[in-house]
Parts: sequence; C-alpha cells; structure tokens
Amino acid sequence: MVTELEFKESLELEGFILPRRFLLESEEDFLGKFPVVVKVNSEKIIHKSEAGAVVTDVKNREELREVISRLKQKFPGEILYGEEMQPRGIEVMIGLMNDATFGKIMLFGLGGFYAELLKDVTFKRIPVDSYDVEDMIDELKFSAIFRGYRNLSASRSVISKLLLKVSNYAEKVEFSQIDLNPVFLYENSYVIVDAKKFQ
Amino acid sequence: MSISDIFNVKSVVIVGASRERGKVGNVVLRNVKRNFRGDIFAVHPSADDIEGVKCFRSVEEIPEKIDLAVISLPAGKTMDAVRSLASRGCRFCIPIAGGFGEQGEEGKSMEREMRRIAEESGMRIIGPNTVGVIIPRLGLNTALTTEEKSEFPVDGKVGFISQSGALGLLTMDEFTDMGVGFSAFFSLGNEADVDESDVMDAFLNDGRTKSIALYLERISRVHSFLNKSREISRIKGVVAMKGGRTESGSRATSLHTGSIMKTSFSLTSIFRQYGIIEANNEVELIDFASALALSKPVSGRRVAVVTSAGGVGVIATDLLEKSAFQVNPPSESLRSRIKRDISPIGSPSNPVDMTAEATDQQYETVINDISDSGEYDAILAFVLFQTFGVTEGVIDFLARYVKEGKIPIVVGTIGGRYSRDMTRKLLLAGVPTYPSIQRAVSSLSALAERGRFLRRYGNGN
Repeated sequence: MVTELEFKESLELEGFILPRRFLLESEEDFLGKFPVVVKVNSEKIIHKSEAGAVVTDVKNREELREVISRLKQKFPGEILYGEEMQPRGIEVMIGLMNDATFGKIMLFGLGGFYAELLKDVTFKRIPVDSYDVEDMIDELKFSAIFRGYRNLSASRSVISKLLLKVSNYAEKVEFSQIDLNPVFLYENSYVIVDAKKFQ
Repeated sequence: MSISDIFNVKSVVIVGASRERGKVGNVVLRNVKRNFRGDIFAVHPSADDIEGVKCFRSVEEIPEKIDLAVISLPAGKTMDAVRSLASRGCRFCIPIAGGFGEQGEEGKSMEREMRRIAEESGMRIIGPNTVGVIIPRLGLNTALTTEEKSEFPVDGKVGFISQSGALGLLTMDEFTDMGVGFSAFFSLGNEADVDESDVMDAFLNDGRTKSIALYLERISRVHSFLNKSREISRIKGVVAMKGGRTESGSRATSLHTGSIMKTSFSLTSIFRQYGIIEANNEVELIDFASALALSKPVSGRRVAVVTSAGGVGVIATDLLEKSAFQVNPPSESLRSRIKRDISPIGSPSNPVDMTAEATDQQYETVINDISDSGEYDAILAFVLFQTFGVTEGVIDFLARYVKEGKIPIVVGTIGGRYSRDMTRKLLLAGVPTYPSIQRAVSSLSALAERGRFLRRYGNGN
C-alpha cells in the first residue's frame, strides 16, 4: 500500500504539478506561503474531511501550532503534512481505473460543488492520443466552462497535455484506482490539488 | 476456419426436420427450401421425403458434402448431432434450440463441449439459442420467419450482427420493407463458438458488405473487438447499439473514480475512440449503417438544404444546427446561379426553397450547382413527391449523383404510401433516403462522424 504522501511524491517525480508540501512536526516546519491545508497521512482514514483529518485555510503560524497539537492528540502517531492552498481554478477530476472487463480506463469530468449532481464525465481506454483528448474535452456537456467563466478559464492545450501525460503515466504504472481530484485548471497551468491511489 | 466461407455455402442439411406443419423442424425446412439456390437435404428417422426434400436416416448416411447444417432438435439431442456433423466434415453448424448456457451449469458445460468440438474439427458453430443466418445472395434463411408475415430480405450492402435474434429479425423486416438491402444477417445466440469479432472479420473480407451494424448486449472479447473495430472502421463503417447497462468489471471502492464507474460508466466515448458510431435505437442502427453503406463520408460541417416546402427547410435547418452543422448562405455568385434555376417566387438562399413549382430538372440543376460551387460539404435534399412537378424520374438523376457527385447527398422524404414507394425505389437505386427530417439529419451526423474519424486515421481513400 502506497500512502497518500508517497503517491504524491511519486507524481511529482513524474513531473506532475502539485502544491508545495511540508512534513510537520511543529509549526516551524512549514516554509511555504499561508494559508495552508494540514492533512493527516493515514491509510486508516479514507474520508479524511469527514474524520476531521483535514484542516483547511490555516492562516498563520499561531493557528498552525494549534491545529498541529490538536491533530496530534486526535491521531496519535500519524504523520502530518501541510500544503500551500491553491488559488481557485476551474475544478475538474481525472480518474484512472484498471477495469476487469475494459482494461485501463481514464475518466475526465467536471469537479466542484455540483459534480456529483451533474455527473458530467467521459471515459476513454488507455492509451489515448491527441485526438481522443480533444474529444474528451468536447464530450463534457459543460465544456464551455473552459473558454471562460467568472474570471476563470483554462486553455485547451493545458488540458490536453495534462490528459496525455496522465495516459502515458497510466500505461507504465500498476494501479487499481487513482483519483486526481480536484485538479485546478488555469489559463496557462494546472495543479493536482489532491491525489489518491488504491493499489 | 474463417467464417467467410459461409458466403459460399452450396449445400444445407436440416437435422431434426419435421413433417408436421407449424413445428420448428418444418418451418425451418420450408424456409430454407423457399429461396436457397443450392442442395438441400434433411435428416429424419423414418421419412424419405419432407416437403419435397430428400431425407436420410442419419447424418452419416448423407452421401454428399455438407456445407451447413441447421439442427432443430431439443438441447438434449443437439450435442449428438453436433458431434456427428463435425466428424462428417460439415463446415458450419447452427443449433437453434435454447436450453443451454442460459439455463445453468449443465448447459454451460454443453457449450464448452461445443467449443471444444469446433476447435478440434474446424467446424464453426453459430449458436446455440439462435435464429441463425440470413444470406440474401444465397437465398439462405434459417430463421423461423414465415412467408406470409415477412418479406425475404433484399441483397444489399449492410452486414447485420445481432445478439438478439428476434429484435434483429424484426428490424430486418422493417428495413427490408423500407428498401434497405442486407449482405447478411447473423444471430449469434449464446456464442458457444462464433462471436461478433469472428463475424466482423468475415464482413471485413466480404466485398458486398460496405458497413456493419451491431446489436450488442455483451462483448465477448473486449480488447479484440475494440481493436478490430478500429481497424475495420478505416475501411468500412461500423455502427453499434449497445443494450442493457454496461457494467464495468471492477468492484467500486471508496475512491471517487470507482463510484463514478459504478453509476455512470458509458461506452459512448469509448466507441468513438475506436471508430464505432453509436446508435441509440434500432431505427438509428440501420439508418446509420445504410448511410455509411451507400454514401461517401461527409468531410465537414457545411450543409446545403434543398427543398420544395419552406417549412421542411426551416425545421431541417434547426435540427442541423442543433447537431453542430452550419447552414450558411451561399456566395453571391452561387446565389445568382440558383436564382436562375428556380421559380421567381422561390428562395435561392440556404435552405434553397424551390416552392411547389419545383421540378425534377430544378432538383438536378440546383444540386449540381451547389455541388460544383465547393461551398458546402454535404447536401440534404428533401425530395417531396407530393410536389406536382416532382416525379419518379428524379430517382435516376439522384442515383447518378450519388455515384458521381462531388459531395455526399442525403435525401429526405415525407409522406404516405406513394412517398414510401418512392423511398424504397430511391434506396434500391442506392440513394441514402430517410422518411423523416430528423432521421435524415441524424444520418448525416453519422456520415460526418465517420468523415472525422477518417480524417484522423483513414488510409487517405
């Protein structure tokens, strides 16, 4: 089993962009910009937010000290880490699944508050080519969002390069399921805000 | 052995033939006899002759070579017949009876035994639990259709594979009446041996088949099926209707991807990835396959609409635009050419409305003008036979245009018996024709989707 922390580090080694991350023994270990999100690196807790194992929007070092001491009490012996909060982007999710019938499948869909309701997702078999990723963008019902919505936008080339990169990655690694969720898209870049792997 | 040889079957044996009218073994015998152009024999324990067909006591006693056998015996007796046919060197065997894998473990093991026999002997088995095959060029029909109730299909260009025998036959009946011809129909039943990928290979190699229509409830070998579809799609159009929810094989886990796979997995965009055009119902399935068989693919989104009824043009334009087509006005020079062709009260824009004064000649000159202009990627022509000056004569021109015209054309008709008769004549003359605005527009979309696939992956032809 790969822990979340190890998985995120492995994604960075592959050249994916993730938030800057710091292991936290004390509040002094965080060398990034506030606000910060503090997470417990535990395999036992699956729904971290519900379990209180994620604390978002920690604004300064003082707050950070309190949060760390609280989490240490609640989850004794577990590793804590902090990630810089990311500027708001267009939220999407990318998923990978090694399906018993269809083989390795990539999912691309809208994320965010209404994601579960809209279920705006599309699926392709791995590997995809540059035409397939163009189709994946167009196959979303709300793909117009990428062209710009409330001061947010995402260029097609950022999305298609990212999807191709995920497909290449999926070809060479073994997994049962992978969630890159949410991914924030910006006009010229992206960041994988959270990532989970199920071996 | 390849399934392709089934298109050259010269002799058919009915094992389990019956003298009693109405019994399966009798209906099948009479069906085969009605149109089949090769030799027919039957196996019956006591009769010498049934319905004028010579009978033998057993498979072993048949002196001639057996190309294809239809077994109309109950499941229990079917296995023995399969064995004797295999050892007699029969090449294709169609066990009709149900009561195999769909009934449980015992049936499943009989199907495994069938597959083993097929692999050892080289005899290919289609079924069990199938209505078999219809191959119009041979006059061969092994299905339980009756002469009074359904017309024998016309030989044509659509190859049809169905995992439901009945739905397949009903659809064939409907479209045969409409004027669509079929190169062959395969009902696959329980697929003990032959599956959809095997038949696709045969259709790929068959010169008469120009497009393939598939009704699928399950895909036997996913990887091979998808890759094969992608290869075939570079040469012939492939349309599929997938019935039932497609379950992914994976158990959902707590991860998000898994739960979405469980609730929302769809093959639509995976089909597109492999060049398969998806149909939502049985009408689209054959409409699209027929368009792909008769017409060149559409290579862009610019469509010119030609009509003799203004309202038809208005709705067609709405539906085209909803399907991401562009119904742009013609250039000034094309406009003035069209203006010369049609009535002064008509509209030389797009849609071109020739009004009730339209004639065969006007359809011809307007369509040629549009085609020569280079301003459009396809023509959608509503040939409305109720129009006074529009006659059966226009069919010759349209058939010629389909063969020689620069850009693809799809024809729409609307109307009753006379119009349906003309639709049939148009289709039999090779003109992709649809008796509704929506169906014509959707079929044009299928042609455009194929055009897009070929631009990406085609061999340049």
